[in-house]
Amino acid sequence: MRLPAIRSFGPTVWGIGLFLILLAGSAPRIPVFLLTLVIGLLIWATLAYSLNLITGLTGYVSFGHVVFMALGGYALAFGIGTWNLHPVAGVAFGAVVGAALALGIGVVTLRFRGVYFAIATLVVAIAALYIVLEVKELGDGQGLYLPSSVGFQPLAMFYTIWVILAIEIGLTYIITHGRIGYGLRSIKSDEDAASTLGINAAQLKLFVYTLSGLFAGAAGGVYAWNVSGASPYQAFDLGFSLQMLAMIVIGGMGTLLGPLIGTVAVYLPSQIFLTIPVLGGLQAIVIGIVVVVIALFVPGGIVGTLQKYIPEFRGILE
Amino acid sequence: MADVALFLTDLALGLLLGCVFAVVAHGLNLIWGVAKVVNVAHGEFIMLAAYGAYFLNVSFGFNPLLSVPVDAAIGLAAGVGFYFGFLHRELRGKESMGLQSEMVTLVATFGLSLVLINAAQTLWTTTVVGIPWSPGSLVYGPFQLPLGGLYVAFLSVAIIALSHVFLSKTYLGNAIRAYSQDIPATQLVGISPTFIAAIGTALGFCITMAGGALLTVWLPTGIRPAMGNLYAPISFVIVVLGGPGKMWGSLVGGLTLGVIINVGQLFVGSLSVAYAIAFLVLIPVLLLRPEGILR
Amino acid sequence: MTRVLEVTNVHKYFGGVRAVQGVSLTVQEGRVVGLIGPNGSGKSTLLNVVAGVAKPTAGSVMLDGRRIDNMPAHRVVELGIAKTHQIPKPFLGMTTRDNVGVAVLYGSRKDRDLGRAFDEANWVLRLVGLEPHAETLAANLTVQDRKRLELARVIATGSRILLLDEVFAGLSPDELREAMGLFTRLQKEIGFGALVVEHVMRAVLTLSDRVIVIDEGRKIAEGPPQQVVRQPAVIEAYLGREAARAAT
Repeated sequence: MRLPAIRSFGPTVWGIGLFLILLAGSAPRIPVFLLTLVIGLLIWATLAYSLNLITGLTGYVSFGHVVFMALGGYALAFGIGTWNLHPVAGVAFGAVVGAALALGIGVVTLRFRGVYFAIATLVVAIAALYIVLEVKELGDGQGLYLPSSVGFQPLAMFYTIWVILAIEIGLTYIITHGRIGYGLRSIKSDEDAASTLGINAAQLKLFVYTLSGLFAGAAGGVYAWNVSGASPYQAFDLGFSLQMLAMIVIGGMGTLLGPLIGTVAVYLPSQIFLTIPVLGGLQAIVIGIVVVVIALFVPGGIVGTLQKYIPEFRGILE
Repeated sequence: MADVALFLTDLALGLLLGCVFAVVAHGLNLIWGVAKVVNVAHGEFIMLAAYGAYFLNVSFGFNPLLSVPVDAAIGLAAGVGFYFGFLHRELRGKESMGLQSEMVTLVATFGLSLVLINAAQTLWTTTVVGIPWSPGSLVYGPFQLPLGGLYVAFLSVAIIALSHVFLSKTYLGNAIRAYSQDIPATQLVGISPTFIAAIGTALGFCITMAGGALLTVWLPTGIRPAMGNLYAPISFVIVVLGGPGKMWGSLVGGLTLGVIINVGQLFVGSLSVAYAIAFLVLIPVLLLRPEGILR
Repeated sequence: MTRVLEVTNVHKYFGGVRAVQGVSLTVQEGRVVGLIGPNGSGKSTLLNVVAGVAKPTAGSVMLDGRRIDNMPAHRVVELGIAKTHQIPKPFLGMTTRDNVGVAVLYGSRKDRDLGRAFDEANWVLRLVGLEPHAETLAANLTVQDRKRLELARVIATGSRILLLDEVFAGLSPDELREAMGLFTRLQKEIGFGALVVEHVMRAVLTLSDRVIVIDEGRKIAEGPPQQVVRQPAVIEAYLGREAARAAT
């Protein structure tokens, strides 16, 4: 597979690249609380891009995506606790678990279309919670916590998630601009017609779903590293699925910039919400309402709307 | 001998529970059949109905059975609101929503679902509540069945039967069935599709919330904001098992699931895992028989 | 090597409905075979079986001596057979050029180079006359252009045997003449073989090298176009026994 020529990179790619490089450069210099905020942003961006692969690009709405994040977190906690892995290795383990899970789930659930797929993913996620609650090795319902020896390592966390996100955005670019992107868009548009043109939909979907599980698992691992553990009801929170969905819906599904813009648009305000005691519980409500409104009235999200109404942006935003 | 009695009692309990599951799923079934959409927030309306029954109990001493008509009425209103809020834009007399519209509705109702859960959590906290109503048990030798469970099972089946009668014998009911099969034809006969879809949705919500009230009898300690996360998947599985749009499918699916959960718990030892298994039943059913068990 | 499609004794039943009952036919690369018959006679079903969209209840479909009836639709395309849809199914959110581009990228050539693929797509667009609309979203194409897009896509897959499902339907006399001219040009330029299901007699009789008539799932006639339409069995199938008697 030939990589796209550098000179063909559009302004969006340069913009994102610049953003990432600036972040990487400033990381050692900024105060810790800000760094923590940025780490959170990058974790969620990774999750958003991962959902974007299967939902935004391929059109398969997944409600249960939180299952990869949760089990990625459990994988990290288990890896560190039981096998004494270094946290970064734990994250890698989380990625592997996420990918394997996506492969296993996808083989079955990707046969379903639309609603049925969405519900199947939801059901799997809830069932996974109920099963994890009973597994002794995974904390027997009480959760797995990282030993205090792991400590708080913001810079290491930052660079880990930075690398993951950078790779993920790169892959998203290659996919959207490459042959696979055409295949996915065709599947999203009309899966049956796509098959009649030679597209092996089952294989493509599974590939993309596995990739998305991989990154969501990795992000879940970093998340667990950040919060020092994984506990069932917190990890398997469907609100996380909603947040990921909100980010890509608000940002613009299937676009390169959308998930990043969506993450910024959702994550930053939500963090502000959390600092005001009264509004904490309202955060999810507001996110939910915004998702409903945008889904019903502004399906293109921010990027889509900008592209539609400001022609100048069409060449720039993607 | 005691084991057999235990098993049979569990089986019977499963069937009784299954009846209530069935009526709760029946509402979803109706909406699925009429508007051809799946309400992802289905569980949250069950939850609201349960809380409704709870507050009616706390404030006025209503037992759950008395709350049923109140919740049903709220359901009707909620259904109309839901139709015009979420569905009307996308449906507007079309055969079915396009892929884009379907995605939009899925995402929107998912958002609604979490808005409702969090609103409930904010208003009522996550403290688990319940309605302490125990009209006694029916005892026969080694067998003991809760009367409350029997009453609501009976009412559940009655509601499903009534809805069946309504749909097949009344003008409005037949109009709804016609709509779910052939929208242009319905229009040709002079019936407004919007009106029918709205009524059908309202009826679905009405039954759902009535079911939510009935469900509280089985939940002396089970009413909490996130309870929808348990009953929504159960409803989905039931509708798929019985076949979306098939009127008696809800009952068949509900009884099956009630038994699987209750008896499964005996074998697996844990209620959580029994639920997990019940949910995962969805997958082989979807694989092998997407139309449901009933042909 | 000339590609050959062989349909041997194919049956397709849907529960109690016997859509296709023991039909055999051969289509060679470079030759056009017309498939006609009254409505509901099983023609489209047969096309679906050949394309891999449906599996035969009995019988076999072979391409160059290799069985393809148990292969999924996308695999059949990879091997060189592509089918149009009776009601066009373009990718509405994509441009005309992208629609054709997908066909080139995923068809039988499996070319991964985007540049080369779109060069090919542009060539097909020119050939078919859709170049002016290359950048138009498929959703904004007229019905006639959508039909052209269907044709462009199957050609772009690089298939050597095309299965055309009523591509000439619903056209005005002028549009029909234009479409028939286009088909002839394409066939000359590319040299594909085709199995053409049609109701528009003029098109089928003019463009086919050979015509097969299907009625109630069975083949009732086969031969050169002008000869076949005069056969009593064929007339009877379309117009009833009285008409057949009157004609002979």
